[in-house]
Order: sequence, then C-alpha cells, then structure tokens
Amino acid sequence: MSKDSLSADRMKARREERRVAGIDVTSFSDIAFLLIVFFILATTFEKVAGNRMEIPSGAPETSEAKQKQLTINIRDEQILYGEKNRKVSMEELRMELAKEKLTERNDEMRMVILECSKTVRYERYYQVVMAITNAGGILALVDYEESK
Amino acid sequence: MRMKRRKRKVSILVPIVSMGDIAFLLIIFFMLASNFVKEAHVEVEKAHSPDIEKMTESKVSVKVDRDGAVWLQGEPCPVELLESGVQALVEGLEDKTVMLTIDKDLSHELYGDVMLELSKAGAEIALVGIKEEE
Repeated sequence: MSKDSLSADRMKARREERRVAGIDVTSFSDIAFLLIVFFILATTFEKVAGNRMEIPSGAPETSEAKQKQLTINIRDEQILYGEKNRKVSMEELRMELAKEKLTERNDEMRMVILECSKTVRYERYYQVVMAITNAGGILALVDYEESK
Repeated sequence: MRMKRRKRKVSILVPIVSMGDIAFLLIIFFMLASNFVKEAHVEVEKAHSPDIEKMTESKVSVKVDRDGAVWLQGEPCPVELLESGVQALVEGLEDKTVMLTIDKDLSHELYGDVMLELSKAGAEIALVGIKEEE
C-alpha cells in the first residue's frame, strides 16, 4: 500500500467521525402553526354569566318560619306576589324583595316559595329566580298544579 | 459614453428562525387558556336577565334544548337517568356545581323535572343566561 492511499483513507475516516446526526426541524413551525389553527377553531373564550341557585336543605321548618315565608306565583307571564297574590311587574318584584331584607335573615326565614304553572316560559321563570337569588332568597320550588 | 449604472440587488431577508419557538409558545398558551367546545351541536337560546354576573365555569354541564331534550356533557341523557348521571360526575369533585342552560322558550312542564332531578343529585345548580343591560 502506498503512503498516499493510506493518508487518504485516514482523512476519509476522520470526515466520517465528524458527521453529526441531525433531526430535520424545517417543518416544525408549519406543524406548530397548524396546531394553533386547530386550537383557535376548537376552543372558546366565552365567559359564562349566571347565578348559583340556593335550594333549601331537607331540614324541617318551624311553624313560625312557615308563616313568614314569602310566596311568589308565576302564571304564564304574570307575577303574583305575597299571600294576597298581588300582581307585580319585574321591577316592582325587585323592589318588594329588597324591602324584605332577606340577606339579614337566618336561612329558614330567607326561604321564598316559588309556585309555577306548567305553561310558564323559561325566560320569565329565569328572571324571577335570578331576582330572588340576587336579593338573597333561598328558593323552594313548588309546581303550581301540586300546590293547588 | 454614459455608463449604465448597475442596480444593486438587495435581497430582503425576514428572520424566521424564532417562528417555530413563537408558534409553540402560542400553542402552550391556547392549551392552558381555553375550554373546548363540547356542546356546539346543542342549540340552546339562553334566557336574559339583568340580575346575573359573570361566573367561573364548572366541569359538569346540563343543557335542555328547544325540543326539551336533555344533554349531559354534550351527550343525550333521558331525564330519568339525569340524577344518577350527575351524581357519578360530581362525585369526588370539590366544586359540585352543575351549569344548567335551558332554552328560553321552553315551558315549565319540560324543565321543571330537570331541576328537580338535579337537586336530588345533590348538585349545586348554576343557571346560565345572558346579562341584560337595563
């Protein structure tokens, strides 16, 4: 073997040693942008609005509390307030509930009995329930048909 | 003789080396900050009220559409099975709130039972709607 061919072989071996295994990352950004598009389309940033409804516990109520409990009746679009079933608008209902100062009472006395006929639209029901909850009342749900 | 001036060729290079990093950062942001739309197929027109506030979303959701069909976590669920279904979902959860969304035109005949079943399941009900400006 000649001297020249020996040095050429050595050079070749050195060159092979220097080769570094590399991962092709050219398409990484494309993949990343595709994922971003997916996330933008598949997600929502909508904030939910609502109110938590307080429902009474199963504890028995005292007769005194029963007497002082507020009753609200919804018949179709009409709101009937109190024992005398006085017809009130939504605004008047809010004012009446504020006058009761429900937040200052104990749990038993905060109870509001809500009677509802079967034809009541949910939006009307929702407005009344939210007004009661906002005023600090605890809801006791009663079906109008059952209460008759 | 006039010499024609050679126009200098200026190649504009936008550095895009960091684009991949930025994209992955954006992905992480979207993954952490977003909620997936599981119930996009359920059509519910929300009720309006001025007495509501913005609230944090809970993990369990029940929807009642305009036909009175009940959907639990985006899957159809008969009213009779709602109590057990919700119980199984809220079990072990710290926040037992169920987000209840009902179509605004539905009659009490159809949504009354849903509310009753949810209260029987021991869940705290949060009624979802749209804030109406007075």
